[in-house]
Amino acid sequence: MTNAVPTRWRSVLPHLSEPLPPDRTPPRSGAGSGEIKINIPTELIRHSVSSREYWDIPAPVVERYRQYRPTPLWRARGFEEAVGARVPVYVKNEGVNISGSHKLNTALAQAYYYQKAGVKELVTGTGAGQWGTAMAAACALFGLRCRVFMVESSLRRKPYRGVLMRMLGAEVHASPSGMTKVSATENPAAGNSLSLAIGEAVEYAAEHDQVAFCIGSGETYSILHQSVIGLEAQEQLAELDAGIGTVVGCVGAGSNFGGIALPFHATARAAGEPGPRLVAAESSSTPKLTRGVYAYDKTDATGSGPMEAMYTIGSDYRIPDAHTAGLRFHGAAKLISAMRHSGDVDAMAVSQADALDAGRLLARHESVLPAPESGHALAAAARIAASPEATGGVLVCVSGHGYLDLGAYEHFLAGGLEDQSPPDEALARAVAGLIRVETRP
Amino acid sequence: MPQELSLDRDAVATVVKKVVVAESRLSLPPDRVRDDEPLVGDLLNVNSLGFVGMLVRIEDELDVTLPDDLFVGRSFRTVRDLIDVVTAAEVQR
Repeated sequence: MTNAVPTRWRSVLPHLSEPLPPDRTPPRSGAGSGEIKINIPTELIRHSVSSREYWDIPAPVVERYRQYRPTPLWRARGFEEAVGARVPVYVKNEGVNISGSHKLNTALAQAYYYQKAGVKELVTGTGAGQWGTAMAAACALFGLRCRVFMVESSLRRKPYRGVLMRMLGAEVHASPSGMTKVSATENPAAGNSLSLAIGEAVEYAAEHDQVAFCIGSGETYSILHQSVIGLEAQEQLAELDAGIGTVVGCVGAGSNFGGIALPFHATARAAGEPGPRLVAAESSSTPKLTRGVYAYDKTDATGSGPMEAMYTIGSDYRIPDAHTAGLRFHGAAKLISAMRHSGDVDAMAVSQADALDAGRLLARHESVLPAPESGHALAAAARIAASPEATGGVLVCVSGHGYLDLGAYEHFLAGGLEDQSPPDEALARAVAGLIRVETRP
Repeated sequence: MPQELSLDRDAVATVVKKVVVAESRLSLPPDRVRDDEPLVGDLLNVNSLGFVGMLVRIEDELDVTLPDDLFVGRSFRTVRDLIDVVTAAEVQR
């Protein structure tokens, strides 16, 4: 199997069916300053908006990638048999680094660019803790301070996430923390969410010098950095002479899904050929791609940034508590949303119980313990592979490991898991005030 | 080998005004925009992501690469703020 680590990222932007809708300025609240505050390295801006397809990965980032890449890809014959698959299932495991997930792929790149631009501290919000751990590790490697706001219910369930981040030098706050205005105005009793943790990080960064907010999933540059997953998978599958009919990843905002799937789309578009079906597996308790609307919505609880075009269940919707904190985000990335809207991305909603059962099967038959989030992708892959209509192999991304999620599996094995799909009327109320993205003729 | 150079302020001003007019979806001649025109005001309406997207267009128009830290820890109120920052930058071609 190849030992090659990608030295370039590949952007899908030149291959979109339609351009990304421009963002909208949020409604002005009272006496706005009229100032535009910017705190992002120029290269990350280029990654987000340029139509360039290939981007050289900086040598210090490639050097760090070599410590854990290429990540394993194999045909999961035991899993195939367990789920009654009619076609081969290939698993790409991104859980084999200190952060335990794909998040390190962009955390390293972001820490490198922010450090080069003179920032001293990065602050972020995290749900499951994988992104916070990745950022803590990347900051440690590139000499930056790190501060993480982690969803309180998730930190309570997974205290060792907090320990690991602190070991890596990060300062960790349970969100709602009470130390920011946005956490004081939100109603903690109504439930915690990733958008609030992110909102706290945004506010903290805005009020401190030489501190920048960074984010790990929905940004277009994050998805570009994750293209190493799909680029590597293409090489590995070619060595196995394996044909792929479907690519599956779980979606919180969409970075591991974009990372594994979009290089396949770019390759197909560049060759003028039909590509594999791209399937985004989401939580049925956060069903933005299957039951949401395509509208302009906030990316965090502060609402201070631009409103982005996204499939959303409404940023004000109170997402039920669940073990899959990484998927508890109200909207999909604008890049993934645009591709869903253009018909280039399919979506499938998966319950927690089905996700954890798929995780159990992977552990038992392939000796790999996936994160509950990744279990959603595995459950979707199993459904597709077992379908009578299945054609070609199924490639599925295991975005992270589940060693810090054994509490969720314990709950599952005890039969105590209940899913809370949002009622239609609650979703309708949550999106009622959002401006819909105009459909082009 | 990239070559470092500094930019002529008038050339930068022309490009910056052209780009902010386009970003605000206006059809007026760029030279009608005053240096002290607010970026978010009665005439211009530039949002923060539109603003960072302008970077790439400014680079293309001037055929230069702007430095990594150009947009870190800065705030911009008027067209002049943007012209000053780009003019003062050590760019590469």
